[in-house]
Amino acid sequence: MSDNYKLRNYLKDLELYLARLNQDEANEVVKEIESHIFDAIDQTEAKGSIADVETILQGFGPPRELASGYVSHILNGAPPPRGFRSISLVRKGVSKTLYYSMFVFGYGLGIILIFAGFYNLVIPNSIGIWSVADGNSFVVGTISSPGYIEDGEVFTGLWLTLLFIFCGYLLLLLSHRILQILKLFHSKN
Amino acid sequence: MKAESKWDVQLRKGSLELVILAALQPKALYGLELLNYLHEFETMKISEGTLYPLLDRLKREGIIDANWVQEGELRPRKYYTLNQQGQQRLTDMNARWQQSVNDIHALLKRTKTN
Repeated sequence: MSDNYKLRNYLKDLELYLARLNQDEANEVVKEIESHIFDAIDQTEAKGSIADVETILQGFGPPRELASGYVSHILNGAPPPRGFRSISLVRKGVSKTLYYSMFVFGYGLGIILIFAGFYNLVIPNSIGIWSVADGNSFVVGTISSPGYIEDGEVFTGLWLTLLFIFCGYLLLLLSHRILQILKLFHSKN
Repeated sequence: MKAESKWDVQLRKGSLELVILAALQPKALYGLELLNYLHEFETMKISEGTLYPLLDRLKREGIIDANWVQEGELRPRKYYTLNQQGQQRLTDMNARWQQSVNDIHALLKRTKTN
């Protein structure tokens, strides 16, 4: 593993654990730590020694511990009023349920959309979008006899393949991001 | 020996805020510069992981200011300076520290003579 990879990995993890700060504050912390590391490397090399990024990173400790020093004022803010302890227990349960629900729903729907995109590519016009409830809703489904569809009733075509794959990819990406944040909250509970 | 080492850590922890404010009094310093300066003193060897979150807390409390400075071709560095409120805090803490040192000295002197 190269020094640059270790450094990037460390800063990426740190940014993740700083998620409770606002984006500007988190960016500033990462920028300062990065600046320190490069200064420390320059300082070591100026003395004629070889800089070891891992040793420098050890001085900061694990990213999670370092981040906790920056977010502790948020986590250790004013204690909740009496009787509000139950909220914490409910939140703990909700975050766990939310995590697994998001995992199944997000990844499941993303995979189904990508699969539908490829299915439409293999069997053209086999997937369609049509409106129901007087245009208040729409349905995506398979069409058993593509030849019998009248124009204007159902949207079909190869462009749906691109749309489904793109939406599926976005959904997978979004789910991944949300799950990362939920995991962080879950681990702090 | 182990008790002594633990005591050293506690002592350093308790005096760290005063130490940082005192180090920033003469001039503005950036993180690594401040760390190097503290490492010149035997009992002030703190890690980067302790220094930066502490600087962040002092900044949030409004007793030090921080500014990014770009010096020529070098990468930008975040310089910390003591502000008016920080100067007052340093004066107060210094007075308490001196009082504490005098008290301990007096106590040790009495123990020695008894």
